[in-house]
Amino acid sequence: MKVTVNALKQYVDFDWSVEELTERLTMLGLEVESVEQVGGGYEGIEVAEILEFVPHPDADKLSVCQVADSTGHRQIVCGAKNFKVGDKVPLILPGHSLPIKEGEKPFTIKVGKLRGVESCGMMCSGAEIGITQDSAGLMILGADAKVGQPIAEYLGCAEKDVLLDMEVTPNRPDYNSVIGIAREIAALTGNPLRWPEVTSEETGGPLSKVLDVRIEDPERCPRYQARVIKGVKIGPSPTWLQQSLEKVGVRSINNVVDVTNFVMLEVGQPLHAFDLKLVKRKGDHLPTVVVRTAQDKEPFVTLDDQSHELDPKMLLIADETQGIALAGVMGGLNTEINDQTVDVLLESACFHPGNIRRTSKLLDLRTDASYRFERGADVSICDWASRRAAQLIMETAGGQLCQGSIDAYPGLKDPLTITLSYEKTNRLLGIEIPGDDQKKLLESIELNCIESNVGSCCVQIPAFRVDLKGEIDLIEEVTRLYGVDRIPSTPPRGAHGANEFDTLHDQLMDARLLLTSLGLSETQGQTLIADSAARRVHPGFVALEYPLSSDMNVLRPSLLPGLLDVLQHNVSHRNTDVAVFEIGRVFLPGESTVTESRKLAIAWIGNRQLGFWKGGAKAEKVDIFDLKGLLDGFLDGFGIRGFSWRTESCEQGEFFIEKASLCLGRNTLGEMGQLMPLVAREFDIKDSVFMAELDLDRLVAMRVHSRSFKPIPAYPSVRRDIAMLVAESTTHMEVQRAVKKAKVQQLDSVEVFDVFRGKHVPEGKKSVAYSFVYRDASKTLTDSEVNKAHDKLIAHLQTSLSAEIR
Amino acid sequence: MSGILEQIEPLTQEALQALESAGSLTDLDKARVKYLGVNGQFTALLKQMGSLPKEQRPAAGKQINLSKKKLEGVLISRKEDLELEACLPSEPTDFSLPGREQRLGKLHPLTQVTEDIIRSFRKIGFVVADGPEVEDEYHCFDALNTPADHPARDSQDTFYVKTPDRPLLRTHTSSVQIRVMETQAPPIRIIVPGRVYRRDTADATHNPTFHQIEGLYVDKNVTLGDMKGTVEFVFRELLGKDVKLRFRPHYFSYTEPSLEIDFSSALTRKMGKEWLEIAGCGMVHPKVFGNVGYDPEVWSGWAFGFGIERIAMIRYGISDIRLFYENDLRFLNQF
Repeated sequence: MKVTVNALKQYVDFDWSVEELTERLTMLGLEVESVEQVGGGYEGIEVAEILEFVPHPDADKLSVCQVADSTGHRQIVCGAKNFKVGDKVPLILPGHSLPIKEGEKPFTIKVGKLRGVESCGMMCSGAEIGITQDSAGLMILGADAKVGQPIAEYLGCAEKDVLLDMEVTPNRPDYNSVIGIAREIAALTGNPLRWPEVTSEETGGPLSKVLDVRIEDPERCPRYQARVIKGVKIGPSPTWLQQSLEKVGVRSINNVVDVTNFVMLEVGQPLHAFDLKLVKRKGDHLPTVVVRTAQDKEPFVTLDDQSHELDPKMLLIADETQGIALAGVMGGLNTEINDQTVDVLLESACFHPGNIRRTSKLLDLRTDASYRFERGADVSICDWASRRAAQLIMETAGGQLCQGSIDAYPGLKDPLTITLSYEKTNRLLGIEIPGDDQKKLLESIELNCIESNVGSCCVQIPAFRVDLKGEIDLIEEVTRLYGVDRIPSTPPRGAHGANEFDTLHDQLMDARLLLTSLGLSETQGQTLIADSAARRVHPGFVALEYPLSSDMNVLRPSLLPGLLDVLQHNVSHRNTDVAVFEIGRVFLPGESTVTESRKLAIAWIGNRQLGFWKGGAKAEKVDIFDLKGLLDGFLDGFGIRGFSWRTESCEQGEFFIEKASLCLGRNTLGEMGQLMPLVAREFDIKDSVFMAELDLDRLVAMRVHSRSFKPIPAYPSVRRDIAMLVAESTTHMEVQRAVKKAKVQQLDSVEVFDVFRGKHVPEGKKSVAYSFVYRDASKTLTDSEVNKAHDKLIAHLQTSLSAEIR
Repeated sequence: MSGILEQIEPLTQEALQALESAGSLTDLDKARVKYLGVNGQFTALLKQMGSLPKEQRPAAGKQINLSKKKLEGVLISRKEDLELEACLPSEPTDFSLPGREQRLGKLHPLTQVTEDIIRSFRKIGFVVADGPEVEDEYHCFDALNTPADHPARDSQDTFYVKTPDRPLLRTHTSSVQIRVMETQAPPIRIIVPGRVYRRDTADATHNPTFHQIEGLYVDKNVTLGDMKGTVEFVFRELLGKDVKLRFRPHYFSYTEPSLEIDFSSALTRKMGKEWLEIAGCGMVHPKVFGNVGYDPEVWSGWAFGFGIERIAMIRYGISDIRLFYENDLRFLNQF
């Protein structure tokens, strides 16, 4: 809502500086978002009257004029022709500059001679002083301009003004008017709110002879009031009216329409003016305004020349033959005020907020009127607004007001009353505001007290406060007016919270910290991704109904597409070593609803180690065992016991070229692998890409938190290495199983240290090397004891794996 | 033969000379073997003791042992010196050269800010709660006193999911308030971090996905003063002791009174603003209590919430929200 300080001062007295006003309103809940200086200017430009003029003796195109001004009289040489004696025009005095447009140098007027004749100033066109676009001749001012009057005063912007732009919260429609804001200032200062006096002579004959109104849907239209002004003359608005609209960003149209807009801004009541002659009548009936719902698919053209197709829930203002206005939203083209309009039908009505909101949304038609109605207009102000507008129309466009009004008011209700218990306010705020003070605060905003006692008061809610519905709303009013800054802060106290998720949050954090300690950086990807990206990793996904764009049209079924984007972004910015993870939610279509779960995903490309000036372990690229080692380290650190990786087959066209799944008991908890190089290339990645995605919710559930201390070995161990040839198909896991099955008691640990194919190894075989560590917890093992154990193990490997010891 | 006794002193001097002049550990060892070794000259001297008259033996033995001890002492100290010398680097180290860099994983800045906020709240008895991101209209709007045609829904243009029950992506974390209160009896003291969604096209200050954090406290006799006190505590922890807060009346459908919180600090002044809007809060609306079956005559409470991106942007001086979701390592590694 835009309003100027001078406009406010017409309705209430206050002597605060702009800063103080801004601060006070903001702290009252009406945040001032911007403050802008407007108006002022036109220094040294005043109204002059042309007394006489004669042609310039030396130039055909110039005239020598004698004019009257504030100092008396002066001579001016002028090039324009469009004036006559007695015309009043703007005059800029010597020593002053023409209003500067942005990017232009100021032009200062001097006393000088034009072709030998002295000229003491300059008479101006509208364009020259920046008021109108007209540069064809002098700007001829109205007869009401007084000689010597500063032009700024004549234009209605005598003083500089300050434009405030305020954020109006949706619960306070009453703030969408100058009077509404002035009312709050009145409450703060204690000064009275000044309503403009409205007295109109009704000389246009009885209204009941020219118009009728019929409300067919009182639910959607609680009030419809009509007045008629006969014999108006449509034309441009007087300057004060144009200026007051334009200052707050409303375009001036003509005198009648401008008045309706002015009154809407003044008091918040949207009005509409129809050309009465264009309201069609049925037979010899009076022209009748019918408030009804539209028929299905009823066509209607609004005054912005847009065609709409209505539905049966939309409220229409109609005559007996057709719609003439889209109720509360916009008038119709068919009855618009135009240059030929003589009789004006003035509508001042109130409509159901939800219905207006629906219509406006469905037709994508937002207007100042719909904005106000959908937030809730003041049903009681219709009559005042109508009379005020009628008076202003007569002042600006002439005409005679018909006697009386037609006021269909089916929604007339007794005002709401609410009781406030003072103690309740104090309990909620944590302070003691005496009951009397609370009552006074409520009364200061026109909530009249109809009953009160020591502990409570009952107030009547004026119709403009549509937001006040219950006691809690009154407590808020007291809080606001008392001042939130006056309520002392009390240190945190009270119960300790409890929620199941609290520990889960810590577990997710544990996972994050473990992964960062392993050298991975955390990323946060978009939840909304493209269906094509989702399809790459998962056949099923959840789509949005109205996506913003096709690259954000589904909920991610996996974190991997997001990580691919991270890799692509980084590689394209030359960050070629990327080790990242994300922990986040994924969404899959469930049986009846959407299933959400948390995942952990990793992506890793580039060099294993960061560069070093000495060289050394030079630029070795990460491989699948880097990823596996990292995952094993993470899982172990996270407390996952007894997991294993199962090699999975990958088919052509899959996401991974090689992959394994994480198994724990019968559960599969995720997978890791190398990305299909074709996919990597699509993302401009040349290096091999290693990725994994784990089911974090289930990992958390399977976490083992208990740890118990095992004594540190007291006796030394003995290590024996073997290398053996086994079949290519024999896996490390099978070797481990065979070792376990040998049941060698003193065997402490076993580790693989080489896998070799090539020289001296026959085709179809591989050489694997293991080291075995033997130890006894109670004594130092002798050589022969170790040999015995080792031989037993070797024998078992030979038979169970057909291993050939080298 | 000359007397053993006469030989002791010259031999000691000779040995001393040899030990002290040894230039390397090898030379030193050679000297040790020559004089003090099993077949060394002092051993030989001891072996000759037998030829001495019985009464001279103790004195000679004592003297030889004294000399040996002395030499052994010199040997040890010389050995230490030479060992230290051997350890010295052959050329001086330039400590200004970079060391071998290790890869340090970083938490995402949004995670870091979220954790800081959670830590502050946990100090004063709050616990973390969570709820679904795919929500129904009831929990996201209706239960929060925002009916279907309410203008407050205007600024929350919402993503709907294309499934038969047509759920939506929650537009705020406040839906979790309802879910927690529906399942837990008061008192409640929770903090809810999480992702929320609005139909905003991505630009420098918008991303369709962003994060919020929300606090809810419900108890007997909870006051607006309590809310101010808690909010002040958390923001001082988060933004520094010098931060000033301002509460001004505002409107949210699920709280009454509703306030907006502005803060002021060296940071805001650096941005050219005295006050910067940072959070919204208010006393839980009695209708919201009614919706979850709490008696508003018995229980009162407050809630407050804010955007995590906004806090992170202010704290680190980040001007484009999209940076959080691009995950450029040059960005991530700065925090």
